[in-house]
Amino acid sequence: MVSRTRREVLVGGSALATAAAVGVSPAFGQAYPARPITIICPWGAGGGTDATARIVAAGLERELKQPVNVVNRTGGSGVVGHAAIAAAPPDGYTLGLVTVEISMMHWQGLTELKPDSYTPLALMNEDPPGIQVNSSSPYKTVKELADAIKAAPHGKLKASGTGQGGIWHLALVGWLTAMGLKPDHVAWVPLNGAAPAMQDLAAGGLDLVTCSVPEARAIIEAGKARSLAVMAAERNPAFKDVPTLKEAMGIDYTTGAWRVFVGPKGLPANIASALTASLKTVNESKEFLDFMANRGFGVRWADAAGTTKFMDEANKAMGVAMKAAGLAKG
Amino acid sequence: MHLSDRVTGLFLVALGGVAAYGGSRLPPVPGQQIGPEVFPMVVGLSLALCGGLIALGVGRRYEDEADVAMVSTPVEGTSASADLLPSRWRELRVLIPPALLIFYVYVVEALGFLPTAAAIVLVTALALGARLRLAIPVAIVAPLAINLLFLKLLRVPLPSGLLPLPWIGLP
Amino acid sequence: MSDIAQAFTIVFQLDILIVILLASIYGLIVGAVPGLTATMATALLVPITFYLPPIAAIGAIISASAMAIFSGDIPGALLRIPGTPASAAYTDEAYAMTRKGQPELALGIGLWFSALGGIFGTIALMALAPPLASMALRFSTFEYFWLAFLGLMCATLVSRSSPVKAIASMLLGLLVSCIGIENPAGTPRFTFGSTNLLGGIDVIPALVGVFAVSEVMRAMLTSEPPKPPRRRLGSILAGQWALTKQYPKQQFRGNIIGVLIGVLPGAGADIAAWVAYSVSKRFSKEPQKFGTGHPEGLIESGSGNNSALAAGWVPALLFGIPGDTITAIAIGVLYMKGLNPGPTLFTEQASSMYALYIIFIVANILMIPLGIAMIRASSLVLRAPRASVMPVIVLLCAVGAFATGNNLFAVLTVAAFGVIGYVMERNGYPVAAMVLGIIMGTMVEQNLVTSIMKSDGSIIPFFDRPVASVLAAMTIAALLWPVFAWSWRFLRPKAA
Repeated sequence: MVSRTRREVLVGGSALATAAAVGVSPAFGQAYPARPITIICPWGAGGGTDATARIVAAGLERELKQPVNVVNRTGGSGVVGHAAIAAAPPDGYTLGLVTVEISMMHWQGLTELKPDSYTPLALMNEDPPGIQVNSSSPYKTVKELADAIKAAPHGKLKASGTGQGGIWHLALVGWLTAMGLKPDHVAWVPLNGAAPAMQDLAAGGLDLVTCSVPEARAIIEAGKARSLAVMAAERNPAFKDVPTLKEAMGIDYTTGAWRVFVGPKGLPANIASALTASLKTVNESKEFLDFMANRGFGVRWADAAGTTKFMDEANKAMGVAMKAAGLAKG
Repeated sequence: MHLSDRVTGLFLVALGGVAAYGGSRLPPVPGQQIGPEVFPMVVGLSLALCGGLIALGVGRRYEDEADVAMVSTPVEGTSASADLLPSRWRELRVLIPPALLIFYVYVVEALGFLPTAAAIVLVTALALGARLRLAIPVAIVAPLAINLLFLKLLRVPLPSGLLPLPWIGLP
Repeated sequence: MSDIAQAFTIVFQLDILIVILLASIYGLIVGAVPGLTATMATALLVPITFYLPPIAAIGAIISASAMAIFSGDIPGALLRIPGTPASAAYTDEAYAMTRKGQPELALGIGLWFSALGGIFGTIALMALAPPLASMALRFSTFEYFWLAFLGLMCATLVSRSSPVKAIASMLLGLLVSCIGIENPAGTPRFTFGSTNLLGGIDVIPALVGVFAVSEVMRAMLTSEPPKPPRRRLGSILAGQWALTKQYPKQQFRGNIIGVLIGVLPGAGADIAAWVAYSVSKRFSKEPQKFGTGHPEGLIESGSGNNSALAAGWVPALLFGIPGDTITAIAIGVLYMKGLNPGPTLFTEQASSMYALYIIFIVANILMIPLGIAMIRASSLVLRAPRASVMPVIVLLCAVGAFATGNNLFAVLTVAAFGVIGYVMERNGYPVAAMVLGIIMGTMVEQNLVTSIMKSDGSIIPFFDRPVASVLAAMTIAALLWPVFAWSWRFLRPKAA
């Protein structure tokens, strides 16, 4: 019905317009912020990223004394929203919350956007994956599970946690590679997210699930599954009994899903530093910490420079893992 | 756009065939016995089969039964026979609503929600035979009301364009 | 017992009741706007719940979502714009009733049987949560595959058309569901290089297009139908009691189907309404009346729809597994308020649990008076001249679709599906069957592919798991039944 070029114009055009929708012209000569700010969330209303965006927006609203609205720009498996953030005018009135997918999608050839297509403001959250098994499974420790994986024939054991090429798939690939195994030694069953994967684990359809511990929490607490290890540098304070991979089997492999606040590329330095400072206050506020603790989300903090470095490293690591798994293009 | 079963059936045969062919060219994924190509191929071939059956008139019997009871049919039937002459032009009028939606997509950002919406309402109302006395008030009130509803209740900002709503502001 | 008494004191406080009332009104209004969904109403409440105490926060979510789901049926019945994928199953039936001049009957059925279904579902939730949840947890991809397959087979039953055309429409829907990257392989399919198509075609814009836009398109050619005689809209609840007594089996069966299917995460309410409607037609004594504004199917699917919604909370509360998008949002709020889902919620915080049950019941009772007011207000559109209503529908289609993801591409989707829907209906292809295909497509493929991966290519687990074997038997029986019936009709002399 619509030609390809028109569709592409639409992506950029609609992105610009979201910013335009907020106000007519940039406010010159007034202290920033002079009018309401929009935060673009590339994922749908009701998910974890949306909830994070909204709680931070509430905090920013108090800090900046201006309304902060969260707009969910969904579509294209996150590509549309991420593109909208990058294409917004860099005036500080349109910000965005980018997720780990920004370090993955460009390797798959889905978009040109990379972490350096934005002005990073602050890293607010990172959730490392845990390794979960059914509570009736014979493996009591991650070491026993690892030995069983090594002993099993190629592709015999099944794992899931999200779709093909998703972050938790790459976590498994990274772990297997770190153990010196082939990336597909454990077959990945692509499911529609962590919740269906945990349900299938409980139903006895899978051998292990890699997904963040908070996502697995309710099933674990219901006694249907247990978490053997987390792929993080430190234990999760809410799950003190679950060791890190390094503690449990001496493999120093960490990864995680993260969320970073950004502006479009070319955000003026004074606005960026003002926003980073406000985000730091929000990050340390009791309300934010309580919210994250209640949801079981991991709080992290890095300022603009730290975030740039963090995203750069994550991006490289993703490239390695995705090439190993045969998921990267070219 | 009333077409014979032979035409729609053959169209489905073609569509199913193209889908199956397009699907068959998708690369397989290592480790998946059933790759991304299988589902489109199965669906495409089944669709082509159904299209063939339709073109041959299988199942036509049931439709006649249903037609008799269909509520919408008598209305359409009477009006179509009412004015036979300009039927070709009349047929084209059905394209007004989708055309207006496409108009909305490409214009709303430049023009803003209120003028775009007013234009859509006006054109639709006139196309349905409304007098200006009715169409103009509706074209003014409906966009304003919808804009307020979305802005206030749903916090969805609509493009302001040339005619922002300064007195409402953002929530 | 003291827990229950305590729960009553928790709920029956002025501030909680006010929150429930306000959230209900909000849900009713948002749900009644064509193109806006209950999910959206719920998501927009989340920032407000930050500032509410726990029970009030959950109460707001429960009441707003229940009301929005019900009032989503209003534009479906009056204007043929279904509010949810689930209500698409019976939109045509309700709309046919409106065109017969009985809008109050259609809406009254929606209201009365929704409320009763919601209460039935809540009772099931209260009495049977643990066994229902353990049933839900036995559903692996093998069982879901059969369920989705059974769902697809409703295609020939949800429409009055030739079965071949119904199946062709359903296959078209399946083909639409292939678009995008959301498939088990994570491979972009039929995206033609478009970023917007990567995420696939959303059900809501497609739904709005094939039902609402195609209806406006048809209006362009037809002259305005004569207005029903000017009279007071009849009493909305009158006759409902008679219907309740006339169709007790349909109501009960709808409720049971709703609870059993609704409790399954991810499949729930969407499939329940379709299956309930199809079962109703299949076992009806007068199936030929279905689709012409006959109450039987509406009763069964309306009951099923709402009992499924309540049952959808079972896996959410016990395991934190969302039954649908609404409970996914609710789970987030539960965590935020320290009411962590899990079995401990039922033991350690029993009074809070009972308070939630009470809110469910209160919300479903409150639905009746508020719903009557809403029906009265919205049925004014039937009196308004068509030339003033249709333009507003076009506008709402555009804005409502845009609001689903703040993406203008959704508006193009609406336009495209408007044309597709119009052409299909003109030529006798039922659009409801296509919608069913779009809803089910991903589920069928996902569960087939992952099941075969898990079994290393073997199809035995599709039949030897206990629940899967039952579902497989049902599917095969349903598959063979029309073949049997068809050959029976064929072999009989034509003269009969």
